[in-house]
Amino acid sequence: MSSSLTDLPAGHVFEPITFRITPGAARAYRDAAGDTLNLYAQLGAVPPLAVAALALGALLQQVSLPPGTLHASESLRFSARVPTGATVECRATLAQRSQRAGWIVSVLDSQISCEGRPAVSARATVLSPAPA
Amino acid sequence: MSVPEVAPVTRTLTQAMIDAYAEASGDHNPIHIDPDFARTTPMGGTIAHGMLVLSFISEMMTAAFGEAWLRGGTLDVRFRAPARPGDTVTARARPLESKDGALRYAVECASQADEVLINGTAEVA
Repeated sequence: MSSSLTDLPAGHVFEPITFRITPGAARAYRDAAGDTLNLYAQLGAVPPLAVAALALGALLQQVSLPPGTLHASESLRFSARVPTGATVECRATLAQRSQRAGWIVSVLDSQISCEGRPAVSARATVLSPAPA
Repeated sequence: MSVPEVAPVTRTLTQAMIDAYAEASGDHNPIHIDPDFARTTPMGGTIAHGMLVLSFISEMMTAAFGEAWLRGGTLDVRFRAPARPGDTVTARARPLESKDGALRYAVECASQADEVLINGTAEVA
């Protein structure tokens, strides 16, 4: 069973995650987001936000988010195009953790690489209800 | 160098879309997909994943800048208000400046009532 994000200390380093972005996974993401741009097919590339979202989904296999958790902010930097079918690696750290006004504030830093090269870096801040 | 205009993107959110996004992304937080749970929260009902709504901004920038966005885009945003099933969300960009070879925009997603859901900046090298 995965641990809860709010139980982890600041500085926690998650196990590196490696996963393949299959054509089916990329298509499911684009269908769900309603993204019909032809560019991805022309380039054989995955939408960059899909890379970040799928990495977060893979991370959620290691750690659960308490029900009611909300996304407060997101910073993303795209460094390289990720081809459909590529295998990517995500290294994530719980960079900060604090509590205020009934919420636990967690800042997650992620570095996602493709074929050994940086592809997407992300910093997500999420708010989880603090236990009463 | 002038900063070109960027065409907006508009989408209407449905619960089916949010459910499909939960499946595709692996984020099954009940605030998004469980109406009974969501009704008990301060949100009062299900809300879309922030990353789903943010994807409209990235789609808008991809349409405008193509591969340059995929290998040199940056986004820095805050989620200001939840987007709900039935909301029609418009992503738009306002040119800010061109600096050191990069184009910078103020970006936002707003609801049909012009409530700002997400705002921040985007830059493309």
